[in-house]
Amino acid sequence: MSAWLEQPKDLLANVGEGAKFSAKIMGQVYSLRVLRFLGEALRQAGVLITSSTVVIWGLVFIIGLQCGLEGAYFTRSIGSPAYAGVFAAWCDLRELVPYAFGYMMAAKVGTGIVAELGSMRISEEIDALEVMGFDSVLFLCATRLLASWLVLPFMYVAAIGAGFFASYLTVVEQVGDVSSGGYLLIFWMFQNPPDLLYSLIKAMSMATVIVLVGCYYGYNANGGPVGVGTATAKSMVVNLIMVHLIGMLGTQLFWGANPRAPIGG
Amino acid sequence: MPFIPKRRGRDDDDRPETEDTAVHPTAGSGRKDDVAVPDDTGLFVDPDEGRASTTDDTELDLPDDRTEDVDQRAPLTRLSGNAEESRRESSAGTGGGVSVVREPQAEDPDDEYQWHTGIRRPTGNPDAVEFVETHKAFGRNKILRGLNMGLPEGMISMILGPSGTGKSVCIKHMVGLLYPDDGDVLVHGESVPSMGLDHLLGMRQKFGVLFQDGALFGSMNIRDNVAFPLRQHTDKPDKDILEIVDRRMDEVGLGAAWDKFPNELSGGMRKRAGFARALVLDPSIVLFDEPDSGLDPVRTALLGELIQEIHQETMEDAREKNWPHMPAFTLITHDIMTARRVSQFINVVWKGRIVESGPADELFDSDNAFVNQFLAGASRGPLGMN
Repeated sequence: MSAWLEQPKDLLANVGEGAKFSAKIMGQVYSLRVLRFLGEALRQAGVLITSSTVVIWGLVFIIGLQCGLEGAYFTRSIGSPAYAGVFAAWCDLRELVPYAFGYMMAAKVGTGIVAELGSMRISEEIDALEVMGFDSVLFLCATRLLASWLVLPFMYVAAIGAGFFASYLTVVEQVGDVSSGGYLLIFWMFQNPPDLLYSLIKAMSMATVIVLVGCYYGYNANGGPVGVGTATAKSMVVNLIMVHLIGMLGTQLFWGANPRAPIGG
Repeated sequence: MPFIPKRRGRDDDDRPETEDTAVHPTAGSGRKDDVAVPDDTGLFVDPDEGRASTTDDTELDLPDDRTEDVDQRAPLTRLSGNAEESRRESSAGTGGGVSVVREPQAEDPDDEYQWHTGIRRPTGNPDAVEFVETHKAFGRNKILRGLNMGLPEGMISMILGPSGTGKSVCIKHMVGLLYPDDGDVLVHGESVPSMGLDHLLGMRQKFGVLFQDGALFGSMNIRDNVAFPLRQHTDKPDKDILEIVDRRMDEVGLGAAWDKFPNELSGGMRKRAGFARALVLDPSIVLFDEPDSGLDPVRTALLGELIQEIHQETMEDAREKNWPHMPAFTLITHDIMTARRVSQFINVVWKGRIVESGPADELFDSDNAFVNQFLAGASRGPLGMN
């Protein structure tokens, strides 16, 4: 019986440890201590832009195509193809763009952080930083979080643009059941600036959690290369769960009580 | 000559030579009440392991042929075998013999620590780093088990010992990457475990550490690696920083390879680059974690010479600039040839405790069978595969 109790106890302990670690990193960013290493934060921002932007935009573009296709065929099947923009607007902005962004962040950025910090841990680079008198959490983790906060809002808004453009291409240019003006009228009618803000909040919450989870697993990796691999896999699992959890809670919170749809006046 | 744990009278002039010259590692630590100390009878009294009391005019009944090898704690533990007998003697009202009062012990460390005399032969220099009764365990695995060790200033010290005996753990304790479960670690007299984070980060700047594989940052070329601590910790202009960096890189023979990344370097070059980075802030304590691992004998010898040269230069620098503490270089290694060539002071560690320590010349002449075996690299002796 005690063996059965051990697992949830360990899980709780790990969650607590992760939360404490994350709070420390957030504290270092909010207190602006991270600005001691602004150069490193900007370097990380550069790495994020050059290595992840295109792949995130690419994935979101494909998701936008899918939303457009589903919207066009569904509204055609119920005899209202002019309303394809409703489906595209909601699908893109509220759900699939944040999810696609979260998936790619987890797969590309999250695992990248775990692998990089984990390798630094096992090759004693983190120890070297510490013995040179640096706060390694500040230097390695807080700078990454600041970099993601600096870069990702812009990257995400641009990704939304890519998704919208892809849906437009599919509905108007490929399927062609609705004119450009008709599509855009409905498309913009069913969304407004607060929706964009909520979507951004959803995505940035996902990104923050992904960076923190990546830092936690990478920084605390042990057991050599196998340990780094295990930590990477674990972080991916946790990140995917967290992305869906945040997605669900965000939808519930922002649009659950009020769908913000101009239907029935 | 090892410490002879034979009880002697107070006015006995014929004390073993080591009692005059050797210093117990805890001496001067200011913790005499907490740790094992020899009483005036020559017995060691360890408050953690029970207490022994003897009458003034009695002598321990130990076989002479065994006393040569017995450590400070051993008399107590050996006595435990005779304790019942002694107690019977006392209770029988004979008035003679030794009366030993001892707590029952879960395990008998007789065999484990019979070679650990713990003798510290004096150097006359203060210690840059001191371990005081340090204990550290990882889960059930006890690594340090009451380690008392000092690394004197102004010397190249060496921590020698079999694999898995806690040598690298010692380095991590010195720089505060690990904290002891019990006991203390002092750097220039300051307790590392009691330092706050900012104090600790400041204290670490006294150290330069060469890790086993250099621990260079993979995202930077070696010049940037070496310049990194200077750029972060000083306000020097980049021109001055590069001047210092280039001088250090020339010293380690990497002047021409400044633009290479760590993955483009051989193991030896990475070590040398790590060495340059360790020295760049002019640290007063430099630690080398197995600098010879993975190197061929010639490169090992050259690295040893380099360490000696740089220690000499740093000593001269320290005298000129009147540093408050003379530079202490410490190597952790298994390599006896390196020990013979480079070391000025040796600590032999085994099973988480000091076996013996002292100036290298004296330790190479030690009578201790374990020290002899280890420093000779012999297969026969107390140390086996287990």
